[in-house]
Amino acid sequence: MNAASFTIEREDHTIGNILRMQLHRDPNVHFAGYKLPHPLQYKIIVRIHTASQSSPTQAYTQAINDLDKELENLKQAFEANTFE
Amino acid sequence: SSVCSVSPKSAARPKQNPCGGDPPHLRRPSGMERSAAGASYQRFPRVRIRELKDEYAKFELKDTDASMANALRRVMIAEVPTVAIDLVEIESNSSVLNDEFLAHRLGLIPLTSSAAMSMRFSRDCDACDGDGSCEYCSVEFHLAARATDSGQTLEVTSTKDLRSTDPKVCPVDQQREYQQALGNVDAYEPDAAGDHRGILIVKLRRGQELRLRAIARKGIGKDHAKWSPAATVTFMYEPDIRINQELMETLTLEEKQSWVESSPTKVFDIDPVTQQVTIVDPEAYTYDDEVIKKAEAMGKPGLVEINAKEDSFVFTVETTGAITAYELIMNAITVLRQKLDAVRLQDDDGDLGELGAHLIGG
Repeated sequence: MNAASFTIEREDHTIGNILRMQLHRDPNVHFAGYKLPHPLQYKIIVRIHTASQSSPTQAYTQAINDLDKELENLKQAFEANTFE
Repeated sequence: SSVCSVSPKSAARPKQNPCGGDPPHLRRPSGMERSAAGASYQRFPRVRIRELKDEYAKFELKDTDASMANALRRVMIAEVPTVAIDLVEIESNSSVLNDEFLAHRLGLIPLTSSAAMSMRFSRDCDACDGDGSCEYCSVEFHLAARATDSGQTLEVTSTKDLRSTDPKVCPVDQQREYQQALGNVDAYEPDAAGDHRGILIVKLRRGQELRLRAIARKGIGKDHAKWSPAATVTFMYEPDIRINQELMETLTLEEKQSWVESSPTKVFDIDPVTQQVTIVDPEAYTYDDEVIKKAEAMGKPGLVEINAKEDSFVFTVETTGAITAYELIMNAITVLRQKLDAVRLQDDDGDLGELGAHLIGG
């Protein structure tokens, strides 16, 4: 089992939840979850388990790349919609 | 450094701490990579803008999930930057409101903030000490008002009395007045009849005076709500409503009527010609379950089936006027991308430092 916990400082549910949901789309990811350990501590912990042909770091990086591309796409969709 | 950080930039870089180590044999860079690993699971959301005004937008967002819709909503409310008065030096105040009260009121006045995305946070600004002496991170305002000896109470307002040193950043009502003078008023935004007095800051009686210098800074709603460009941002799941017409036809017209009226919002109606129940406005449905309960109470369960489409959302966005609704949406996407960029693993984090070397080296 490939497992890791990533502590992300200065982020909250905004990043935690999109990251978790994006990781769930990856079939190599057996488990992905995040928690906000304490409301006064500005950090989240993301835990990822993956299949052996992948790794948590790889899945994490892939999820961020995919989300970034999705948002780039969304931006273009808005621009195309407004100026048509 | 991260745009969303609220602490000094020295600590702004996110850290990733490995807690669960991978077994050594899996960490070897020469390991076999199956095709599935590293594949893209990107989505391609679709957008349809239904309505777009200066301070209001309504749009549909499809082919993505609630996490993305909610992230956009959260960023629009709390992380898209604007400019607001943050520091006030009172030179003279003989009004009935105390200095702090006035400073707070000044902070809440929305200022035109189209330039905010390209401004610096004063804590990140190295051209000044964050004291307002620099054009990159702050804008200075002046206010001087004195009620002369007439018996009239003087109203000190954002339109009339608050003077900016930078024409790009001024109270939103001044901007609106300026646009109206130029005749650039949107045809679809009829001149909100009447009130051009702006935002009332304080009233002065005879002999009272207010003189101050204020500094407006860039900030985000997370630090203080005065920096939030959003008045309201909401999204709802698009409902999928299916009427079982076969079962519906077993109802009398009166029963149909009473079922249609059981919905607190006008979702259904009866066709006057065919007497069939039709859906007039699915989005008026508030997921209140009243029509479902009514159908059950009438002994007709399954009369209607209503599901929330989990990948389709209807957004409404209203701004304070600090930026336009379109700017708010676009800036939210930009800010969210910057946040994602800030949480990327750095190259030197990739091998998990000393621990990684230990794991790989055995």
